[in-house]
Amino acid sequence: MKQHSKLSQKQEHVAEQTAHAHAAREFSNSDELLRFDAAHTSVPPEIAERLKKSAAQLPPPPARSWWKNLFGG
Amino acid sequence: MNQPVAGQKIAADVASHWTAAEFAALYDEHNRAIYYLALRFLGDPQKAEDATHDVFLKAFRRLDQFRGEASIRTWLYRIAINHCQNLCQSWHNRNIHANSEDAVWETSPAKTDSPLRVLETKELGQRIQQTLDALSDEYRLLLLLVADEELSYEEIAALVDQSADAVRGKLHRARKAFAAHFEKTA
Repeated sequence: MKQHSKLSQKQEHVAEQTAHAHAAREFSNSDELLRFDAAHTSVPPEIAERLKKSAAQLPPPPARSWWKNLFGG
Repeated sequence: MNQPVAGQKIAADVASHWTAAEFAALYDEHNRAIYYLALRFLGDPQKAEDATHDVFLKAFRRLDQFRGEASIRTWLYRIAINHCQNLCQSWHNRNIHANSEDAVWETSPAKTDSPLRVLETKELGQRIQQTLDALSDEYRLLLLLVADEELSYEEIAALVDQSADAVRGKLHRARKAFAAHFEKTA
């Protein structure tokens, strides 16, 4: 019984170590780390809903003058 | 880096008129970049959500001011940076504090060459936020912008009103400060 519990403790320890090994990651610099973080950051879907409502309440955006389209500015 | 983005075409095509579908396409393409900048710059998910909403709404209202000289992504970043900096400024005015530790990290042994090791990716966000919070606004912003592979050094320089050389120098120090502090959060 005692040996059994010792064994399961050992198994747990190995499983824990394996999990850690899987989770371990190395990033060569902060750019890489931040890119990884950005890629794994999800944008709350509520923003799109709020935007849709807010944009619907606004008057249509002003049209760009034809001469600005032609000459820039 | 600096590849043409679909949003740029959308803006050019609809310079005189902005339809809901086009605005939605623009949002789909750039929302992650803007939200991530706001999240890590402001350090608060709720504030980042509000800021992202406000930035895109401003873009929607000001499309007639987009002149196509920069990419639409850069234009959105400019709105986002101004918005976040204004928010920070008002907090700083209410709650003055200084990040004097940057100088200490800059003089500590350089760690930029050694890899940043992370054991638990689930805690990564917290560690990154702690690290960024400890840096100056300028370093934080530069690190976040350079992490976006669509931006060139020249575009980043234009966004922060500095020369590309100055940005390179500051980024070197910012990365060093980041790495030194990131290790402390382990």
